[in-house]
Amino acid sequence: MQVLEARKITKTFPGVVALKDVDISFELGKIHCIIGENGAGKSTLIKILTGVYEPDAGSVLFRGEDTLHHPQLFDNVAYVPQEIDLFRHMTVADNLFIPFDKSGFGKGLVHRRELEERARPWLEKFHMTAQPDQLVGEISVSEQQLLQIARAMIHEQASVLMLDEPTTSLTMEDTRRLFSVIREIKAEGKAIIFISHKLDEVFDLGDEITVLRNGEKVAYADIHDVDVNWVVRQMAGRDVSQAENYRSTNVTSDVLMEVRGLCGERFEDISFTLHRGEILGMSGLVGAGRTELMQAIFGYLPVWSGSVTVEGKPWKLGDTSYSVENGLIYLPEERKQQGILPNMGVKENLTMSLLKKLQFGPVLSERKETKLAREIVDAYAIRISGLGQKIMNLSGGNQQKAIIGRSMFCSPKVLVFDEPTKGIDVGTKAEIYRLMKKHAEESGIGIILISSEMEEVLKCSNRVLTLYQGRVVGEFDAQTADKAHILNAIMGIENATLQGSAI
Amino acid sequence: MSQNVGAKVDLRKKLAQNKMFSIGLILFGMFLLATFTNPYFFTEYNLQSVVRDLAFIGIVAIGQSCLLLLGELDLSVGKIASLSGVLGGMMMVNYGLNPWFSFVTCILLGALFGAINGTIITKLKLNAMVVTIGMQGLYGGINLVLTKGKAITKVPESIYVLGTGTFMKVPVPFLFTLAVLIIVVFLIKKTKFGRYVYAIGNSREAATILGVKTDSVRVKVYTLMGALSALAGMLMMARLGASQPSIGDNWPMNSIAASVIGGLALTGGVGNPAGALIGAAIIMLIQNMIVLYGVNVYWQTAVSGIVVVLAISIDSITVILGERRLRKAHIAKRNAGLAAAHKE
Repeated sequence: MQVLEARKITKTFPGVVALKDVDISFELGKIHCIIGENGAGKSTLIKILTGVYEPDAGSVLFRGEDTLHHPQLFDNVAYVPQEIDLFRHMTVADNLFIPFDKSGFGKGLVHRRELEERARPWLEKFHMTAQPDQLVGEISVSEQQLLQIARAMIHEQASVLMLDEPTTSLTMEDTRRLFSVIREIKAEGKAIIFISHKLDEVFDLGDEITVLRNGEKVAYADIHDVDVNWVVRQMAGRDVSQAENYRSTNVTSDVLMEVRGLCGERFEDISFTLHRGEILGMSGLVGAGRTELMQAIFGYLPVWSGSVTVEGKPWKLGDTSYSVENGLIYLPEERKQQGILPNMGVKENLTMSLLKKLQFGPVLSERKETKLAREIVDAYAIRISGLGQKIMNLSGGNQQKAIIGRSMFCSPKVLVFDEPTKGIDVGTKAEIYRLMKKHAEESGIGIILISSEMEEVLKCSNRVLTLYQGRVVGEFDAQTADKAHILNAIMGIENATLQGSAI
Repeated sequence: MSQNVGAKVDLRKKLAQNKMFSIGLILFGMFLLATFTNPYFFTEYNLQSVVRDLAFIGIVAIGQSCLLLLGELDLSVGKIASLSGVLGGMMMVNYGLNPWFSFVTCILLGALFGAINGTIITKLKLNAMVVTIGMQGLYGGINLVLTKGKAITKVPESIYVLGTGTFMKVPVPFLFTLAVLIIVVFLIKKTKFGRYVYAIGNSREAATILGVKTDSVRVKVYTLMGALSALAGMLMMARLGASQPSIGDNWPMNSIAASVIGGLALTGGVGNPAGALIGAAIIMLIQNMIVLYGVNVYWQTAVSGIVVVLAISIDSITVILGERRLRKAHIAKRNAGLAAAHKE
């Protein structure tokens, strides 16, 4: 029986269509898996199905009733987020029943004894070994994950359970235990929505599968009718047209940067080289360690062991000031927190790394600074109302152009772009690709492109490295690589190296 | 929703831009009010005494505003001031050192105390408020050990001019305040260093990624704060003719309040040190008016507290009212939409 249904859902954000005409429905007693690359629209869909976002068009129905008129219907959808989101310094029982008035402890006083007694059957039901009076911070990650599910199910007579990548931090053993709990919940006749990157899990657990790509629903099937290859094909879509690309045509054999055996908190034993004039794509799932690796090379995060050389000379690690001065520039993914100085003007944001050049004695020369900022704005066609405009009031695309512009004026040798087109509209995306290509070709710099969008990586890079759980697991020539193979590699599927050249 | 946020940002922006102007107006308005409602206010004696009191807290507030620009603060300023005064008094009285030499040495010692604060905060990655609460206990404690709570009197008279003198009717300590203001505003507004301070206050992460040596800049600002606290403490000693271990107890709070009234955001990156001086002037004016209006002496502290809270709230109240208006408009629009959908 259909319980939750989304009809013709469209959701746009400034410049980006996140979901387009998506129809999806969920039945009681079935596990429905949703799969798609990063940026395919999964998280937007989740937020619409849980009532966090309102769709621009289309409707979400619960047992045939429109949620637009009855937003309280969303209480029937229990959502378990990907990250563990519990109160670590409170007990298991506290976490289970908080907020207390919603779970029937609404008389002002909370009796610890009663709370713990009431928690016991729930813990048993979810096969948890933790005691009700234990602190959440002291129980294992898999117990925490189970506790999250128990908590989601406890509040209401939830009939839909939505699990967002619940196994990311679990071992095989824990995953098996979690799955048996999920199967029991299914047997009780609940509808389960299961979102995961891990295809083997999807096939192990699922009944139905929906594939999203670029905000559209591209395929739906009964899981027994299809196999892994079919899913990967659907996710990948058409092959990226070789004609439309932004690869550097000026790759030299000159090694610009060499990384040897680098280890840090989220990555292990990383080695690779970057050539002058090359764009090196870095592909992997969220959490594969790409950002951490590059931030460590840049000096923002600590490196435990290993070495980096640039132009044959050893590179000083752990000092961003040294990196910027000597031409290794990192353009962050988290633009708002790490890229811009939000309350400062466009001018100040553009010149921050270049102030040394603008000094007249101890004083900053207003004239030189304005001239430099004007130059960057003109060279990169940044649309502003004036140099004094606060940078946070620019569009994402213009902020990104400002960040690229100021980086280029630092006379860089290596530029690291971390998700450079995240949240940026299609037109500006192409502009940013052209800028990367131009700089790699003309200035002879090396570019490292971290991106979760497969098409972007294939269109822009000369070579692609794939990371999986903090390790380099594959290296591909972007011109000949098959999108499906790279997808396999980033998802940790073994036969990744069948056609890609293995390391 | 995005509209909502945009409008909010715009409102904040407007307020921030007009901030110096608007608090300047408030100060001027209060000045006129005091002049026309009380015959004793606009007299040479009263004005000199207000300005003299303003001088000390003004210096500290200017320093505090630099820390607020970083998004940090120092609650040990009062104790650094009194400890410097006590050390200065001991050097002059107990050891008979040259007063001018002692004066300068104590300011350097204050800078050292500030640098210690800053080093602990940055190297151990600790919260500024907690560390400086602890350090104020330490500095205050050393103070008590040295003095056993008693003032050091008989400070050489040659130094009195710094505290009690006037130059063209302007109290000398206030000349120091103006000099400090000019130097600090120059540093903050015209040099690379100042630009880094704003950058760190805007986003420490972004500043680091842009290659700013954030820890070094932060320690320098704490050092400046320590030096300015010590300067205020030494001037106070020159004014009282004695080293009082109890001076500066309300300086941490007043200097922060002055800065916030003057438009500096507690979250960092926004404002101008000159605003802090205007804010301090507003606080001193309030206290003076309370005295002149003959408010019961026991009520004075309470009244000045309420007025300070009111002054700080003006901004926020405007923003809250603006948000409420926007939300009402949004709900009205939504209801209209729902009604239309229902008809269909």
